[in-house]
Amino acid sequence: MSKPLTWRTAAVFAALAALPLVPGIPRYYLLLAFDALLFGAIAMSLDLLMGYTGLVSFGHAAFYGLGAYSTAILMERGILSLWASIAFALLVVGLYAFVVSYFATARRGIYFALLTLIFAEVVYTFFRYTQTFGGSDGIQGLPDAVLFPGVPIDTPARKYYLVLAYLLVAWTVCRVVVASHFGRVLVAIRENEDRARFLGYNVQRYKMGACMISALLTGVGGAVYPMRSAFATPDLLVWTESGEFIISVMIGGLGTLVGPIIGGAFFTILRDKVSSVVDWYFIVIGAVLIVIVLFMPKGLLGLRRLLRV
Amino acid sequence: MILEVDGIGKHFGALAALTRVSFSVREGQVFSVIGPNGAGKSTLFNVISGLHQPTTGSVQFAGRPITGLPPEVVNRRGLAKTFQITNVFPEISVLDNVRVAAQSRTPESGRLSSLWRRPDVDASALVLLEAFGLARRRDELAENLSHGEQRYLEICLALATAPRLLLLDEPTAGMTPGETREATALIRRIALDRGLTLLLIEHDMSVVMGISDRVAVLHFGEKIAEGTPEQVRNDPRVVEAYLGGADD
Repeated sequence: MSKPLTWRTAAVFAALAALPLVPGIPRYYLLLAFDALLFGAIAMSLDLLMGYTGLVSFGHAAFYGLGAYSTAILMERGILSLWASIAFALLVVGLYAFVVSYFATARRGIYFALLTLIFAEVVYTFFRYTQTFGGSDGIQGLPDAVLFPGVPIDTPARKYYLVLAYLLVAWTVCRVVVASHFGRVLVAIRENEDRARFLGYNVQRYKMGACMISALLTGVGGAVYPMRSAFATPDLLVWTESGEFIISVMIGGLGTLVGPIIGGAFFTILRDKVSSVVDWYFIVIGAVLIVIVLFMPKGLLGLRRLLRV
Repeated sequence: MILEVDGIGKHFGALAALTRVSFSVREGQVFSVIGPNGAGKSTLFNVISGLHQPTTGSVQFAGRPITGLPPEVVNRRGLAKTFQITNVFPEISVLDNVRVAAQSRTPESGRLSSLWRRPDVDASALVLLEAFGLARRRDELAENLSHGEQRYLEICLALATAPRLLLLDEPTAGMTPGETREATALIRRIALDRGLTLLLIEHDMSVVMGISDRVAVLHFGEKIAEGTPEQVRNDPRVVEAYLGGADD
């Protein structure tokens, strides 16, 4: 097994951990950094499917949104524990992902993308058009979560460390999985799924496994989000959210794990910066993304090679 | 008998690709199925290896029925197959190709621990690559290999799953006559070394005559002859099938 934590990784995480210590850093920037790392971690989880297994999910917003609603539903009832939220999100997202991944992997080709999308739209429609969980308003005005009794996750710095810890865990899981027996089979499925079957691998089971891991990691990311935003709304479940995850993976670099983290962070910061200047920010973002996809087929991570030469 | 094919028929709509084909392969034999192009040889392999469900008949492997089982289960029973059209993992290295095949037989396979463990199968993978002269190409992407090298890698993948019976679908397809002779001798030797049973498909009769213990001839989906290479070569029906009508 290759070591998931190299010195370089440790140095990057140490630098990220030092961010709140920068004197006079505005809370706004810490919260933007929260969003950037959260988006990056989720894009990385999606890369497990897109880059390694060769499956494009158009329904990751559902895993993300269900994670967020899991936290919000508990908090609304006065259960503020971080650990309870994560456990509940794993349960909810796990059950949903099991059903989705079973049906989505039962047939080959375009069906995976279509079925993940359709299931996610059903979830969106349920949360948006029934009043069970607040309808279009979602669940708002949530209190701060608590790490342990008496230790609330209340300051921007604490929230930032929460998402950093999530990123570290998700990164370790992804690194271990792609380097494992299982990860090798995923790549073989991406390369040639028929041949993988003739080597004795039950391809559907491996695809389901990859989908479950990716969904659970995304769901935990969703569970963390209301601890910063204090709400969960149906907007988190819309298919455009899934599209943004996919774009983040592509601009970062497919099948690299670290690329999608950078891609997700880049996308979040770009959207934030451009939208604070102009209303039609999505046109600007679209143009930037087209340039990246056209001229950097290996994504932002591909820049490494250019810079070294 | 390691493989017993009994009355296999396969229909695609109104087309009968195979009609009541039966034969048995003894352990350690080299058994060849020959026939002109379109005789139903590949369909027969696809039925045996689990890709197609037969319309009629049954297949027994090592005394147990495998009729209609999916390819991954058939492979785990010890029956591996190579493909007529090269079928490898193009964008990973040659060594990684064989690694993923070899790890299929490690204890981690199919267990939860496969999520975090990576079995070391490099030694057995390198032995195979060495045998086929691919060891020095181990870090090359599979798609960058020459046609002949890819044909060998194809066989390495199947062998890496440690089969008892190896099905080779025109292993020398696209090779020059010189390469074909070399490849045939190599395959024969490796089968002997490993105590393998070989079931071979060929449309070129001359390839199999030298190495086969027994030959069956398919023509328009039916078995028209079976016997030793000499018996088959002199069978008038076989001569007619090869000379009259068919395109080869």
